[in-house]
Amino acid sequence: MSRDLALVWLAEAAVFTLVVAGILAERPWALGATGAAIVAAGALVRFVPRLGTTLAGAFARRRPAALGAGVVLALALPLALRSSPYWTFVATLALLYVTIGQGLNLQIGTAGVINLAGAAFAGLGGYSVGLLTVAAGWPSWLAVLVGPWVAVAVGTILFVPILKTRGHYLALVTIAFVFIFNILMNNLEFTGGPQGIKNIPTLRLLGHAFTTKPVLAGVELPSHANFYYAALVMAGLTTWVLRRLHDSWLGLALNTLRDDEIAARCCGVSITRGKLLAFSIGNFFIGLGGAFYAVMVGFVSPPDFDFGYSLVMLSVIIIGGVDSIPGVVLGACLLVPLPERFRFLHEYRLLLYGVVIVVMLLYRPQGLWPAQVRRYR
Amino acid sequence: MSVSPSLVEVAGLTVRFGGLVALDGVDVVVAEGETVGVIGPNGSGKTTFFNALTGLLVPAAGEIVFLGRRLAGLEAHAIARLGIARTFQASRLCLALSVFDNILIGMHAGRRTGVVDFVVRRGRFLGEMRTAIERVSHLLALFNGDLPRRGFERVGQLPQIDRRRVEICRALAAEPKLLLLDEPSAGMNPEETAELMRDLQIVREEMPGLSVVIIEHDMFVIEGVSQRVVAFNYGRKIAEGSFAEIAGHEEVREAYLGKEAARA
Repeated sequence: MSRDLALVWLAEAAVFTLVVAGILAERPWALGATGAAIVAAGALVRFVPRLGTTLAGAFARRRPAALGAGVVLALALPLALRSSPYWTFVATLALLYVTIGQGLNLQIGTAGVINLAGAAFAGLGGYSVGLLTVAAGWPSWLAVLVGPWVAVAVGTILFVPILKTRGHYLALVTIAFVFIFNILMNNLEFTGGPQGIKNIPTLRLLGHAFTTKPVLAGVELPSHANFYYAALVMAGLTTWVLRRLHDSWLGLALNTLRDDEIAARCCGVSITRGKLLAFSIGNFFIGLGGAFYAVMVGFVSPPDFDFGYSLVMLSVIIIGGVDSIPGVVLGACLLVPLPERFRFLHEYRLLLYGVVIVVMLLYRPQGLWPAQVRRYR
Repeated sequence: MSVSPSLVEVAGLTVRFGGLVALDGVDVVVAEGETVGVIGPNGSGKTTFFNALTGLLVPAAGEIVFLGRRLAGLEAHAIARLGIARTFQASRLCLALSVFDNILIGMHAGRRTGVVDFVVRRGRFLGEMRTAIERVSHLLALFNGDLPRRGFERVGQLPQIDRRRVEICRALAAEPKLLLLDEPSAGMNPEETAELMRDLQIVREEMPGLSVVIIEHDMFVIEGVSQRVVAFNYGRKIAEGSFAEIAGHEEVREAYLGKEAARA
């Protein structure tokens, strides 16, 4: 049994080291060596007989220990990345995508409500924060808590199409919604038009402004580490809540109505209630991610929430595994940093996401971390 | 015919698809604890009858009274919650979900825990689930002692006969008062059909108060399980009575064999 523990911690430490090395390696040889090590590790797990299943078994038997070590490593990440404020920022962004992805996954993955308006709902959260703080003078933390509710409230506009259309048609309606949102934000005066809203005040908790550099264990960290830890708590809580909602009567009912509406209705499931609940809960967390983004970067503008970001959110789910809670975490942690690491990819980001979606759907439609059956434990 | 009180009373039920009259003034009464067989050629309106009963279709005319309550205007999920459960001719299981999940959804309407229990008071929800899974296991074991052990496997991995059983268990899990079985032997070979008849016998013994309406093409099944038979043709009820009466009924023979053959 303690062999399991050693295996779990060794594997997690190896992944952490490789990730940090991959991010920080600057010289070509260092980057090449890290890349080779990552490929070698992948090949090892894939091709050494029984290594993959041994590891999976160890993780299954030692779940609390694995989770605990994962939390410790996530907490330690800003320390490892302290030389690079930029990468602390990217890691925070990945955590925002975890939050957003969990919300979107409840809609698309669990309930089959294809929502390609993720960017618009994140934007609603973000713009609400902008307006509430800059125009109305609210404190940032309160605006971040209220912003998501605006996303939920505006989402009610889409209730009729959610119930009357499905599949591709619903996708088209939601795409139209993103464009309407963008056109409105570009043209409305009170949202600042193309300039958006600037000078959103930063978060301030118990007198600690998020622009000051935190000191952790005697080490000074970049100011973005404040947001990193806040986003870590937010993403952790979101994942925890969504995990429990997924493994419940609600998740089961949503899965059933996704797979077969007629069977679900004949089992007493109200399609109306299920879809609207999934849509609204999902929009809350998408809006929460957007609201947090607004206080983190300090401004919002229309291009921050255009259709391309809806596709990024969708790719996070498809890469990780549709309807898979851990899959969303994996998808966000892979898909957000990768184009940042390879700057030459950055301009072709959307192309990369498109290719990734097509390849995944063709060769591994269940995603990298497929959804498991509910165990109710 | 029956002394027990009637559970369902269907009167003058009419369903139209555009110009086509799929059901034309059908009257059927089902008593508590009774098993009624429904026969008729393809397209005679049997499944349409079920779809109207379960609220999937809105009838153009007529009335359905279930437990003294008119079902007009109720949505399918509300009717299901009153105690009408059904299976489908083509299996409607969620193949990606586990065996347990496919049956647990049948108990969804009777759940006693809500969102707060799912997230915060998790113990209450898990406690409810433990009892529910025990009940599901008990149901599965009635039909096949192996199935409870396979509860956490995806239903897509089960053979056809076991999938049919899972579907029946899903319907039974709701503890319905009326069970509608839409051609359960469809696509089965003779051995599987024999097993199915044994399964239906088990349902009978396990739930004596349950009323069952079963659509079947296999006359051995109809003869074996039903106390009364209703025959449909072109959307109308053409005969009603014991299996022997129906088997000798001229119009029924015509509907199945054609005028010439029926006379021969």
